[in-house]
Amino acid sequence: MNTALVVGVVASSILSGTSLLYATLGELVGERAGIVNLGLEGILLIGAATGFALSALTGNPYVGLIAAAFAGAAVNLIFAYLVVERRANQLATGLCLMFFGSGMSALIGRPFVGALIGGLPRLHLPGLAANGIGMRISSYDILVYLGVPTAGLIWWLLFRTRWGLVLRAVGENPASAFAAGYRPASLQYQALALAGFMGGIAGAHISIAVTQTWAEGMTGGRGFIAIALVIFARWNPFLAIAGALLFGGAEALQLQLQAAGADVSPFLMNMVPYLLTLLVLVVWGWNRQAVAPAALGRTFFGVE
Amino acid sequence: MKRLMALLTVCAALALFAMGPAAAEDAPLTVGAIYVGSVNDYGYNRAMKDGLEEMKKSIPGLKLIEAENVPETAESERIMEGMIQQGAKLIFATSFGHQQFAFNLAKTHPDVVFEHAGGWMQAPNFGNFFGATQSAWYPMGVAAGKMTKSNTLGFVVGVPIGYAIGNVNAFEMGARSVNPNAVTRVVVTGGWSDKAKEAVAANALIDQGADVVTMHVDSPATIIQTAEGRGVYSIGFQSTEARTLAPKGWLTGLGFTWGQFMTATAKSVIAGTFKPAMVRLGLGQGMMAVAPFGPAVSPDVQALVTASAEKIGAGFNPFTGPVTDNNGVVRIKDGESWGGDKMGNFDWYVEGVIGKAK
Repeated sequence: MNTALVVGVVASSILSGTSLLYATLGELVGERAGIVNLGLEGILLIGAATGFALSALTGNPYVGLIAAAFAGAAVNLIFAYLVVERRANQLATGLCLMFFGSGMSALIGRPFVGALIGGLPRLHLPGLAANGIGMRISSYDILVYLGVPTAGLIWWLLFRTRWGLVLRAVGENPASAFAAGYRPASLQYQALALAGFMGGIAGAHISIAVTQTWAEGMTGGRGFIAIALVIFARWNPFLAIAGALLFGGAEALQLQLQAAGADVSPFLMNMVPYLLTLLVLVVWGWNRQAVAPAALGRTFFGVE
Repeated sequence: MKRLMALLTVCAALALFAMGPAAAEDAPLTVGAIYVGSVNDYGYNRAMKDGLEEMKKSIPGLKLIEAENVPETAESERIMEGMIQQGAKLIFATSFGHQQFAFNLAKTHPDVVFEHAGGWMQAPNFGNFFGATQSAWYPMGVAAGKMTKSNTLGFVVGVPIGYAIGNVNAFEMGARSVNPNAVTRVVVTGGWSDKAKEAVAANALIDQGADVVTMHVDSPATIIQTAEGRGVYSIGFQSTEARTLAPKGWLTGLGFTWGQFMTATAKSVIAGTFKPAMVRLGLGQGMMAVAPFGPAVSPDVQALVTASAEKIGAGFNPFTGPVTDNNGVVRIKDGESWGGDKMGNFDWYVEGVIGKAK
């Protein structure tokens, strides 16, 4: 263990955990309203491609970021129409959305492969940025700094507002919510729009901030990891921060250990983050019934 | 129904009309090319595209049909079949995984010549070609060894196949030839194109002291930009055009230059003298080139790198024994040397490389 390794792991897990955090928070809101979206990976790809394309076109990464968020929301509303309005099976529709997003993002991104963008500017924290280590852990883009406040905002929305109360009621028991005079469909649309918005931001963070490139399928399964992290986080926005850092940290740690010359096979190293995710799901799994929204994944057919 | 039939007939006629002239045109040759990715990747596909453009320029009237993002599945066979329908008599299948599908078509279309990049299959109308990359990495190591201040070089490897390990080995040997203290740290991402992981990997190498970073992945863009952002040097691979990504930190790079070979092949197909061969050419032989130097590289370092590239071009083989691996075991004995046929066999890193091959 050396200082560079610890600092490097911390810095990299914050950077690569950020997109996971936004994606996890988005999925979490949708699931709180009773909808599982397995197509999150597709939303991330749409966000990554749209964000990169608009950044390249306008030369302004913030325009790209906002466009990515709205593109994610728009595509997720297609999903919402299918599962809420048409009452399609959520799992099957989600997988279709994943393939749709993958193809659509390839189409959007195609003319922009190899384009050069400035990337989201890094904002240096005053006082810390003077030396090497300080620079490494205190110079991030705006999305990193907004990560924890966003988790707090989502928590506040879900647990401290009337909107959140009704949304959670829809996820637990849509018939009761309906009987109480609320319209489950309307709330599910809103939840999924917000989820898509967050997913778009997550994808854009990968393409605009972390890699500054667009390549087909570049999100590399992070959408699926985020779905697992929702379970890890027990549908709680604050635990989602821990989940995102845990996975981002595992990936950063294995790459740092390779760079430091650890005597372990690189093939094994590359499995570590996924093994860890599996392990966490196994350990957490037993408690799932108690915390998962009761109507998660079920289609509400209305009250006759 | 009748109207629908009429419409379909018109459509079919139009389609025939659209296809007809392509085949009837008196171009000296129609060449088809399939790429596995986008030609704007600053990497492998861009290099292929540049080579084909050079061929097109050298042979007036030559017609080029291209398809990007062609998967390494049976889909590629259908796309190449379509090119043959449009009159292609020479097809470049430019990705490793296209081999079997191109070979299937070669059997059913004996009048069409196929050239595949990187494979081994042979038929009267099927040849293959690739750059001898391993020894060409030696001068890259010379540049890195001369420019590093921390004596630590970083190498991001997508998948540690024998050829990639050979690239790392020649790089470290080149660095050691001018700087006996230089070490190369290796990080494997596990995929040829996992961009987010490449960024973290490059950062990890820099955290561990690397001040020159290079890579063997599909597109060098993310790693070069990450290095530039952290203020360290980078060395590119695949396309020599990647230098535009790092105006400050770019040292040099290794690129494929396919133009000369592609032009010669097209000419031989036109003349009817095509002969299949397994072509592997390196520096100084027309298939690999050292990219232009960046502003940080002083004239005497440039001269050193150029001299070592010429030495490789003249036949110097860095894999001449004794070569010791990074556990102290002699892998290539004194008097022995590994030629082009053994470049896929590396499952060990040379002395000075910090990393595990398997």
